[in-house]
Amino acid sequence: MTQSQETGGLSARSAVTAPTPAATGRAPRLVSPRERAVAVASPIVLLIAWEIAARTNLIDARILPAPSLVAATIYDMTVHGDLLTDTRDTILRFLAGIFAGVLPGVFLGLTMGLFRWIGVVLNPIVGVFYNIPRIALFPLVLIIVGLNETSNILMIALGPFFTMLITAMGAVMTVDPVYRDVAKNFNTGPRHLYLMVTLPAIAPALMSGLRISVGLGLLGTIAVEFLVADSGLGHVIWNSWTVLSLTQSMAGLVVAALVGYVMFTMVSLLERLLVPWNRPRSFA
Amino acid sequence: MSVGVVGREGTTSLHTVATASDMAGGIYVRDLVKTFGSGADAVEALAIADLTVREGEFLCIVGPSGCGKTTFLRILGGLEAPTSGALDVRIEHSTRPLQSMVFQEQGIFPWLTVLQNAAYGLTVRNVPRGQREAIAAGYLRKLGLAGFEAAYPRQLSGGMRQRVNLARAFANDPAVLLMDEPLGSLDEQTKMLVQEDLLHLWEGTRKTVIFITHSLDEAVVLGDRVAVMSHRPGRIKAIYPIDLPRPRNALELRNNPSFLAIRGRVWDTLREEVLSANLGSRESLG
Repeated sequence: MTQSQETGGLSARSAVTAPTPAATGRAPRLVSPRERAVAVASPIVLLIAWEIAARTNLIDARILPAPSLVAATIYDMTVHGDLLTDTRDTILRFLAGIFAGVLPGVFLGLTMGLFRWIGVVLNPIVGVFYNIPRIALFPLVLIIVGLNETSNILMIALGPFFTMLITAMGAVMTVDPVYRDVAKNFNTGPRHLYLMVTLPAIAPALMSGLRISVGLGLLGTIAVEFLVADSGLGHVIWNSWTVLSLTQSMAGLVVAALVGYVMFTMVSLLERLLVPWNRPRSFA
Repeated sequence: MSVGVVGREGTTSLHTVATASDMAGGIYVRDLVKTFGSGADAVEALAIADLTVREGEFLCIVGPSGCGKTTFLRILGGLEAPTSGALDVRIEHSTRPLQSMVFQEQGIFPWLTVLQNAAYGLTVRNVPRGQREAIAAGYLRKLGLAGFEAAYPRQLSGGMRQRVNLARAFANDPAVLLMDEPLGSLDEQTKMLVQEDLLHLWEGTRKTVIFITHSLDEAVVLGDRVAVMSHRPGRIKAIYPIDLPRPRNALELRNNPSFLAIRGRVWDTLREEVLSANLGSRESLG
C-alpha cells in the first residue's frame, strides 16, 4: 500500500519536472493574447471609473478633474500654450541627466568591482555620498556650478549615477569566477575584459538598475523643475498649482506620466537589443 | 624558485629563464608545493616531487576527489601561484600562446555566440576578424557544430557546449592544452562521442596535453600515459604508459583485451587512494 503511494508521488513529481522551455533552450513565450488584452484593459477601466466618479460627484472634480476635461486641457495647452516646448525640455533634461549619470556610474562601478583596491578606497566615500538625501545637495550645487542648466542636469544625474554604480559593483562581485579564470587564462587585456567579459556578464543586472535609474531620473527632473527651471513639465505642474489652476496642473502630471511610460518602454526595447542571450519573461 | 619558459615571455605567470637546453622539450615539475591557509590551519594540497611531461604527449591525471589535481592544473594555467617549487617549461612556442585551458562545464560565455566563443582567444590577441572567424569556424566544423555558429550556448546541449569549449582552446592554437575534467558533466554516451572527436582533433595536431579526469576509462582511452595522484596532499603515486596503438577509437577501444588489462593495472593503484580518501573524509566527519 505504501509502495503504491510512493509510485503516485514519484509520477506526480516527474510531471512537475517536465522540461521547462528555458531548460530546453527554446525561447519562452512572453505574453499570451489574453494577458495582453488585460494589460490594455486595466488602465482603461480605471479611467472610465474615474470619469464616472468625477461626473457623479463621488470625488471632488475640482481636485481630481474628469479625464475628459484633462484631455481637453492638454489639447488646449498644446495648441495655444507651450506644453510641447515644456515636454521637450523635460525629455531633454531627463536624457542628458540619465546619460551623465549612467555611463560614469557603470564605468566606476565596474572598475570598483574588478579591482579590489580601487573598491576598498572608494567604497566608503560612495557610502557617505549615497546616504545624503540628494535634493539637499541642490543649494550647494547651485553655488558651485551656478544657476544654470548644468546644475540641473548634474542634480538629475546623481540618482542614476549612484544606482548604476552600486548595481554594477555588486553585480561584478557575483559574476561566476570561472569567467574571470577564462579571461585570465586567455590573457585578456583591459579593453576586452571590460567590453567582452564583465559588461555582458552583468548586463541583465544593469538593465534592472537602469529601470530604477529611469524612475529616479524622472523624479530628479520634476524636482529640479519645481525649484528653479522656467520651463518643463515640473514647472507647469508647480506653476499651475501656485495659481490654483488645478486642471492645468493635472494636465502636466498626466503628460509627465506618459513621458515616464514611454521611457520605461524604451528601456524594455533596449534590453531586447542589448541582452539578446537572456530573454526574461515580461508583463507588458 | 626557478621558473622558466623557453620562447616568448609573458604568456603566463611563468617567467623566462632561458638556458642552453640539454634537456628535451617538455614541462619539468620539481618539488611543487601548494599550501592553502597559514599557521595551524594550513593545508598542504599538493606536493609533486618530480614530474616530466614530454613535449607532444597526452598525459592524463586521475585521482580521488580533492586530491589537488585541479589545483595543479590551475598552477600550470597561471590561475594560481605555487607556494614553492619549480616549474620549468621548455616548449618552443614563439609564434603562438604557451597554453590554453579547457574548463569544466560552465566555462563558455553565455553572451557570446558559438562562433564568438570559439574565436575568443584570437579576438583578445587582436587577430583580424575575417581570419579569426575562419579559424574558429574550421574547428567548429571539425567538431560537428557547422550551422550553429550564430546560436547562443543556452540553445545547445551539454555535449555541444563542451565541443565549443574545445574549439575555443584549439582555435587559440597553444603549444600546451590544459583540460580540467572537460567531459565530467556529460552522460556516458555523449562523453564517448566527444572523446572520439577530441582524439581526432588532437591526433591531427599532436599538441602537449595535460588532461585531468576522475574517470579511469577516459584516462586510458585518451592518454599516452596515465598518472595516478594520491589523496591529500596530492602526489604523483605512479605513472603508467598506455601502449595502445593510435589512432584510437574511443567507441571500440573499451572492449579491447589490452585496454582492459591496462585499466585493471591502473585501477589497482587508484583503488587504494580512493579507499583511503574515503576513509579520511569519514574520520574527519566523525
